[in-house]
Amino acid sequence: MCGCKEKKSDLSLISDILDEYAKVPGSLITILQKAQEVYGYLPVDVIYHIAEATGNSPAKVLGVATFYTQFRLQPVGKYLIMLCQGTACHVNGSERILAAISENLGIKNGETTEDGMFTLSSVACLGCCSLSPVMMINGETYGTLTPDKALTILKELREKAEKEAQA
Amino acid sequence: MNQITITIDGKKCTGPAGATILNIAKLNGIEIPSLCANGLVKNYGACGVCVVESESSPKLLRSCSTEAADGTVYHTDTERVKKARRVAFELIMSDHEGDCLPPCMLKCPANSNCQAYIKQIALGNNKEATKIIKETNPLPASIGRVCPHPCEKDCRRQHVDESLSIAFLKYFAADKDLFSEDRYKPEAASDTGKRIGIIGGGPAGLTAAYFLRLQGHEVTIFDMMPHMGGMLRYGIPEYRLPKEGILQKEIDTIEELGVKMVNNYKIGRDISFDDFRKKFDAVVIAIGAWTSSSIGCKGEDLPGVYGGIDFLRRVIEGSAPAIGKNVAIVGGGNTAMDACRTAVRLGAENVYVIYRRTEAEMPAEKVEIEEAREEGVQFKFLTNPAEIIAGADGKVKQMKLQVMELGEPDESGRRKPVPVEGKFEILELDSVISAIGQHVDPAGMNGVELNKRGIIAADEASFRTNLENVFAVGDATNRGASIAVEAIGEGQKAAKVIDSFLRGKEVPYRMPFVSKRDPKDIDFSQWESYPRAKMPTRAAAVRKGDFLEVNKGFDPDDAVKEAFRCLECGCHDYKNCELIRFAQQEPVLQPERFAGEKHPYFTEQKLVCIERNQGKCISCNLCVRICDEDVGKGVLGLVGRGFTTVIKPEFNNKKVLEFCKSCKKCAENCPTGALKVLD
Amino acid sequence: MKRIVVGEGSCGIAAGAAKVFSALEPLVSGDQNIRLSITGCIGMCYLEPIVDLYEDDTLVQRLVLVGENDAPAIAQAVKSGDFSGVEHLFIKEEDKEFLSKQTRIALRNCGIVDPTDIHDYERRGGYEGLKKVLTSMTPEEVIEVIKTSGLAGRGGAGFPTWFKWNAARSAQSKSGSKYLICNADEGDPGAFMDRAVIESDPHNLIEGMMIGAYAIGATEAVVYVRAEYPLAIKRLESAIQEARANGMLGKNICGSDFSCDMRIKAGAGAFVCGEETALIASLEGERGMPRLKPPFPAQAGYNSEPSNINNVETFANVPWILANGGEKFAAMGTENSKGTKVFAVTGKVRKGGLVEVPMGVTLRDVIFGIAGGIRDGKQCKAVQLGGPSGGCIPYELFDTIIDYKALTATGAIMGSGGLVVMDESTCMVGIAKFFLDFTTKESCGKCVPCRIGTKRLYEILTRIVEGNGKEGDVELLEELCKAVKDSSLCGLGQTAPNPILTTIRYFRNEYDAHIREKKCPAHECAALLHYHIDEEKCKGCTLCARKCPAKAIDGIAKKPHVIRQDSCIKCGQCYAACRFGAVTVE
Repeated sequence: MCGCKEKKSDLSLISDILDEYAKVPGSLITILQKAQEVYGYLPVDVIYHIAEATGNSPAKVLGVATFYTQFRLQPVGKYLIMLCQGTACHVNGSERILAAISENLGIKNGETTEDGMFTLSSVACLGCCSLSPVMMINGETYGTLTPDKALTILKELREKAEKEAQA
Repeated sequence: MNQITITIDGKKCTGPAGATILNIAKLNGIEIPSLCANGLVKNYGACGVCVVESESSPKLLRSCSTEAADGTVYHTDTERVKKARRVAFELIMSDHEGDCLPPCMLKCPANSNCQAYIKQIALGNNKEATKIIKETNPLPASIGRVCPHPCEKDCRRQHVDESLSIAFLKYFAADKDLFSEDRYKPEAASDTGKRIGIIGGGPAGLTAAYFLRLQGHEVTIFDMMPHMGGMLRYGIPEYRLPKEGILQKEIDTIEELGVKMVNNYKIGRDISFDDFRKKFDAVVIAIGAWTSSSIGCKGEDLPGVYGGIDFLRRVIEGSAPAIGKNVAIVGGGNTAMDACRTAVRLGAENVYVIYRRTEAEMPAEKVEIEEAREEGVQFKFLTNPAEIIAGADGKVKQMKLQVMELGEPDESGRRKPVPVEGKFEILELDSVISAIGQHVDPAGMNGVELNKRGIIAADEASFRTNLENVFAVGDATNRGASIAVEAIGEGQKAAKVIDSFLRGKEVPYRMPFVSKRDPKDIDFSQWESYPRAKMPTRAAAVRKGDFLEVNKGFDPDDAVKEAFRCLECGCHDYKNCELIRFAQQEPVLQPERFAGEKHPYFTEQKLVCIERNQGKCISCNLCVRICDEDVGKGVLGLVGRGFTTVIKPEFNNKKVLEFCKSCKKCAENCPTGALKVLD
Repeated sequence: MKRIVVGEGSCGIAAGAAKVFSALEPLVSGDQNIRLSITGCIGMCYLEPIVDLYEDDTLVQRLVLVGENDAPAIAQAVKSGDFSGVEHLFIKEEDKEFLSKQTRIALRNCGIVDPTDIHDYERRGGYEGLKKVLTSMTPEEVIEVIKTSGLAGRGGAGFPTWFKWNAARSAQSKSGSKYLICNADEGDPGAFMDRAVIESDPHNLIEGMMIGAYAIGATEAVVYVRAEYPLAIKRLESAIQEARANGMLGKNICGSDFSCDMRIKAGAGAFVCGEETALIASLEGERGMPRLKPPFPAQAGYNSEPSNINNVETFANVPWILANGGEKFAAMGTENSKGTKVFAVTGKVRKGGLVEVPMGVTLRDVIFGIAGGIRDGKQCKAVQLGGPSGGCIPYELFDTIIDYKALTATGAIMGSGGLVVMDESTCMVGIAKFFLDFTTKESCGKCVPCRIGTKRLYEILTRIVEGNGKEGDVELLEELCKAVKDSSLCGLGQTAPNPILTTIRYFRNEYDAHIREKKCPAHECAALLHYHIDEEKCKGCTLCARKCPAKAIDGIAKKPHVIRQDSCIKCGQCYAACRFGAVTVE
């Protein structure tokens, strides 16, 4: 995690955010959330920039960024699969879904496929317990999953993305 | 400021209003363990070891961060508090990876602090080295020469190339001191008026005497022989340990300290044991194991058959028996080596060592075997005496040897020798020396309880015998004869127990709890190979003709180089480590019951002047908090959450490091050895 | 006016409600007599998507499990008044009981009002309570009403709400600021009541909070919402704007002297932030690590000023209490626990959803009476209450009443209302491990008992379910559980052992079976399972061999197949696939 090797991010993209929040006490999390919306993740140079703008030490900003699961320090794939690990999902077999996706995509929880298509992330309860097991992909919720159903959904998404790429 | 009064463990304690329970306890001389609290920073309450119980709260309170309430009664020693504290320590230790003490020191029966004295040798401070050595061993020049050095067996340097030559470095430093103008001479504490009688002036008795005298007690050693030293004097040949030149000098130092020494005095002969006991506040039996075991075959009592240690003693006393030209020594231990090499020096032409297993199984030191071979000793492996046959004069003439082979491993793990049926050899001999073991002769110690094997039974923690005020140490006890440093270890440990007993509160010996690493988990690839120093010796052809010392001692340059090979496995912070100090106050901790994932062990030097060890870090976060709250820099931060949280000097970025003032406050306040100030 | 109302809570949308709405929209948009609108979550999650057909304010028909293909038939039915074409979508009588057996106060508007329309809320008596308070009551009188009602914190701990309000009211502020904070960081896995309330009835929350703000003298109100609830944030955001525009927030609320504004703070994913002091640290932009108490938030909380924190459901009861009087609320429930409680019933029940019942009814009433019992004809084993802080109550104790004291006596807790029902196929050691996995990951890492203790508990449970448990492990768990409970810094650690302690207490036999016999009685722990094919029953259809992801099944068509045990990954797919019951598991 050496800052020097990272590619440079366009810091101007968050200047509005910093103008609005940098001097408001207690806004660090909000700034990080908005910065992540902009970049898709939190690049190291962005963390430095935020630290400087808010008058915090980089260590503190990194400390906050690594405390909360929402923040990512690595880029994610085109599709972010958020697989719910809530109790209801557990009771209804979410581990089997995780295993099936993991095997199918060849990635472990937290990893991204080599082609950059999918990132697999098991998350805390999504609150859709009645539809368990549940996963959310880019904001869309898919419920009452079975291993087969989950893999079909991923297959469809991949086909969709490939079609888009061709077009 | 308002004063308040609280009760802690029944003691009335006063302190300023607003102070924490911990601080008021401290002000009143009560220590509550605490690792994460520090006056430089705000209350935090992370480590959980400082919990106390209050009579007015159902919950356990963190004394470090709970304001004491006037008139409240607190307890630090209820079962509930003790359990919670113990589990907290066990949990911390289960994720604390490090070696408090070096493995050499842990392996040494006397717990000699090898790493510390070797460091001093490396720095050229031989006197300081001797001082450290003498904290555990008053006879280092002698022991350094003769010790089979268990320490070296656990030396981690062997995973790089070869173990350090620890014993010979001790011999080197102690010699330097012994022959210097201003020998290291510790002073005894002021007189306590307590009188201790020690029976036996061998390594165990001398050591006990030394440490008890240091505490200010009046100590007298009684020994049946004309000189002190016991087996060191009478069981080890002169060519290995010069008696007047080295051993006696070290004994003299003990005498100079004020230990009284009485020779040619035997309990049971010159005084009854009961009368003897009456004269002292405590008695220590350290009579050793002086009887040779017999061979156990037909002809074992014939004239010309000698016991190994009897033989060695007689040679040293100047009354060597006439052993003739052809001599067989039975046995494979160090006494057998001493006996065979002594026989060579007495002029025997054919000296045989009869050993029923092979060389690989021989308990004797390799170097001893090698040197014996250089001196012409012939080894008859896989043979066992079947009969000693007398000649016409009734004396030893021949030995019939049963040829053996190795069978299945026995309980000691060594392959058991079994006779090859009908296969024998005959040796023509003038004498036979039996060096297969020694026994305790407890004659005179009336009323002292013996174990099944006829050895004095002593408690392993208190060193007490069945008799009031009578302690026993060394070869004479429990498992019987062993190596000298074992006797020294017992003498030293027993001295502490006896001292505490004489002061009215006996504290039995307990190996303090320490954190240990498994060498399998350690990466040795970073070290470059550098060969072990060889001890210069006199040529075999020359030395076999006399009893002068074989070893010549290390050249100072070689000693320093050898000392520099030390990997310094033990923690730099052991003496100042709050974590281990408190952990050792607990009843024996068993962190292994919570064994599980640990933080990885590695060191990093990302801060200007500090080395950080992740394995040792206990996540008290004091360094982070001090850097942030006290220093105002925030160079250090927490990364991640929960168990996986680590402390990072952020990114190792130059810009950030400019912040770091090298104030070293983080390292100075680390409650364990996770942060080290680099020199 | 004919109205078509589509239930668009998160669950409903996930089940396809938004697609139904989109399909209906063009079909009815030209018709002046039909109004198409949305509502939040009615709580019958198992029947989503749900479409309600109203004639003015009268519910004429409730359609369930609606698909987007049903849209033309629905539009046609509404237009014509002839519902025969959508008869297959009518809610069954049996399912109507799901709602009719409930007593709804906190959820009273959920699934009825349009969450995006403040006027719809006002039509149903919304903001009456706030107006009454601001025009005719002193803050002390408000607190007195809450005291009379017996309302207690619905976040789990059950602390009397009036007491907290009173403490915050009495506390002196240094800067003149006081804060009212709503804890909507609904982190318990298996609980979604708060999400439903915010998504479905955001003005109810705003009104409840403003009454609280008036009572304690707050200058600002903050809602701390989980980031995982994007729809709730969106609906609350627009509701806040609406309320501000309508004089219910901001300066001189309802024309009174009282001013207080409100904002949302989105959490960033940390369960521990449900703990008051951690939540405050998070609000301040720090790592969400709990702080020592005292000082309590009422004295020095957010920005070191007096702060009061209540849970969403607590606030959701407040407008009703002020409108109807504390006595009426207190008339419901038991001696120790007043009013109602909302539960999110999930797991192996037939009818999962939101259930609000008066305190004092039994678990059986909720699980069997309302939620319809266990599905698939299986045997009920236990219910998990209170999430990672709670415990498992066995079927034998289902006559326990819903009451703070009674539930605590079982070793579980009331908790925030997650109620996960388990059948015979759920391994109780596995459940304990599931929760410890959760707490280990969510532990903030500050204090030793929680940071290392929960990790070690998890590791011991893991070795048990993997068949490596040792004699004495249960005792070791118990000892460690006690220490973690006793000396953890905050509620997370203090309650984290509860799932273990309750499962040991009620299902010790399952622990022993794992440890001694290396068997999982629920047939759930993969490492302890062995799949076999019964030669007699196997027809050689080859289905299992084709399904097997590990290619661990050998055999030729029409001959009995065999599972190679060394290759079997115990996924259970053969077991599920076999149509002849030839695959057995033990």
